[in-house]
Amino acid sequence: MSTTKRFAISWMTIASLLATLGITQATRAQEVQVEGPLAGAPAVIGLRIYRQMRFQVQLHATMTLEDEFSRAILPGGQLMFHPTDWLGIGVWGGFAAGNIDSALTDEVAAKGQTNSVNVLSLPNRQNFTKQIGRIKWMAAPEVQFIPLRGKLGIFEKLFVDTDFYVFGGVGFAGVEERQDVTAATSNDCRGRADLAAQIECFEPTQGLRSSRVAIAPTFGAGLSLYLADFLAMTLEWRALPFNWNTSGTDEAGDPRGDFPDSQVNSGDHLSHFNHMFTLGFAFYLPTTPKISSVDSD
Amino acid sequence: MNLSLRDDTIFGNGRAALLAAVAAWIGLTVFGSAQAQDMSFDLNEAETAPAPDKEAPPPEGGEAGGEAGGDVKASGSASGGDILSELTAEGGKEETTADERLPREKEVIEKIYAVQRMYVLRTGRFELAPAYSQTFNDQYVSHPALAAGLNYWITNVLAVGANFLWYQGLETDSDLNFTIRRSTRLAVPVTEYQLGAHLNFTYVPIYGKFEMFNDSIFQWDAYLVGGVGVLRTRPVPVIDPAVRTFDFGWRVAFNAGIGLRVFVTRWLTVFGELRDYLYMEKLENLEVALGKNREDETTWIDSNSTLTNNVTVSLGFTMFFPFTFEYSYPK
Repeated sequence: MSTTKRFAISWMTIASLLATLGITQATRAQEVQVEGPLAGAPAVIGLRIYRQMRFQVQLHATMTLEDEFSRAILPGGQLMFHPTDWLGIGVWGGFAAGNIDSALTDEVAAKGQTNSVNVLSLPNRQNFTKQIGRIKWMAAPEVQFIPLRGKLGIFEKLFVDTDFYVFGGVGFAGVEERQDVTAATSNDCRGRADLAAQIECFEPTQGLRSSRVAIAPTFGAGLSLYLADFLAMTLEWRALPFNWNTSGTDEAGDPRGDFPDSQVNSGDHLSHFNHMFTLGFAFYLPTTPKISSVDSD
Repeated sequence: MNLSLRDDTIFGNGRAALLAAVAAWIGLTVFGSAQAQDMSFDLNEAETAPAPDKEAPPPEGGEAGGEAGGDVKASGSASGGDILSELTAEGGKEETTADERLPREKEVIEKIYAVQRMYVLRTGRFELAPAYSQTFNDQYVSHPALAAGLNYWITNVLAVGANFLWYQGLETDSDLNFTIRRSTRLAVPVTEYQLGAHLNFTYVPIYGKFEMFNDSIFQWDAYLVGGVGVLRTRPVPVIDPAVRTFDFGWRVAFNAGIGLRVFVTRWLTVFGELRDYLYMEKLENLEVALGKNREDETTWIDSNSTLTNNVTVSLGFTMFFPFTFEYSYPK
């Protein structure tokens, strides 16, 4: 056995032992919590139960992340009911108050080039903003699971009750995309004599839009900071992955693979993760939370 | 035998002095010992229960100490003018007073602190942090990296350290880059990273606890990190790949970020971090010189530098060395 191999095996063994020790220590640390005079007692007594049997009415603003061509700002709300302190059922949604085009969109609009190959994808660069896809609204019935509850101290001066939650549900996204360009239309325009005529034929299709509803799973996680018994600030990350045509270009559909097929249709709906960040303020009703008793579990 | 004047003087004056010294010695021994009992800071005395007859009298009777106290008071009052007796008697007047001022400690099996000690103390410990990093905001080229950090905790909330990231061989061109080139005939100038090395300060302003189903508790903290370092990058030739080639060059980079650390054990944590590395990037020149100048390397790089934010997400674990630590208590 070579020295290098022996050295590697030794360090792997040490690492394994350390890992085992770590797990053991974790177990021991947890055991410390449940031995002694506090054995059998809950982790927290006199706990403010912020969610159980309360309605949560939340106002929020959502911003999509990692957008290629257009970012959506969606103010909205959430209504949720919590039968227990660790479970919630409700609905989340928002409407796009505005769409902010990205720097890439501006670059394409200013410098994009058109030739006989990409004339369908970009007939006129100055109209590129008219053909990009945009999110118009989102909604999602969902279930919230709150496994962690605690508090945090800021600069050892300010203490805030917090909880961490995850959620999942079915998402509905209203998107607006470039209207489909059929093979017939494409063949007709490409059959024109020169590039200028082809551009003139394809250009009206850039401004034609169609709307549809994309249905996809939605999931994410968030943190609630309780500012008062009835008010919390929420920081939430959400993903709603679905396929859509963000660029309005012909990207796929050819049976040989991801090659243009001279059409703009559902085949050009590429997969996107569509994740977003939400900042909200949640109001709880009734306004006074319950307090767990000393003997409660 | 006649003593010398000196001897007489000595013995003459010495007898009185000797008697005084003896008296003083007796007084100090007896009186002082009573005081010593009261003023003892012996550790054993502090941790062991005193004998029942020496316990302070209870507020309301029934206990043995109360009986002793009563007896003490009775004997003290009965002895009246015998000060020495009073001083030396068990539970004497002075001792009773001292007992009342200094409550006796009772032996306990376990001590329960109203405020629990911090789960982990970081002061004076080293922290090793291997991690996997991924660029969060570059849609044209992904910049994953294998990272390692080393910190030394000066205080429990402040650390100084360094981190190293290796990018080369891990980067990939994104689909967006390809589709933009194909659909719009635009080339996006991109760069390739090799490595990054940075010095940082870490500050922990937020410390928290989470309980899970009211059964177990774990500790976590949130930290701010910032510093300065270098990145080694080079442009990827996309404008004129047939002629242009580039070497890696050093770029000074500032960084700032936030992170969250969850303690698995007292020396092992898992963490997630979001950090922005800001630097002035050198991009490929979008214009191609004609003729012989096309091969002039000075025309390949854009004369203007571009401020670049490389926002990176890191996930990893940290290990503290030494593994154990000791709590220090105020004296």
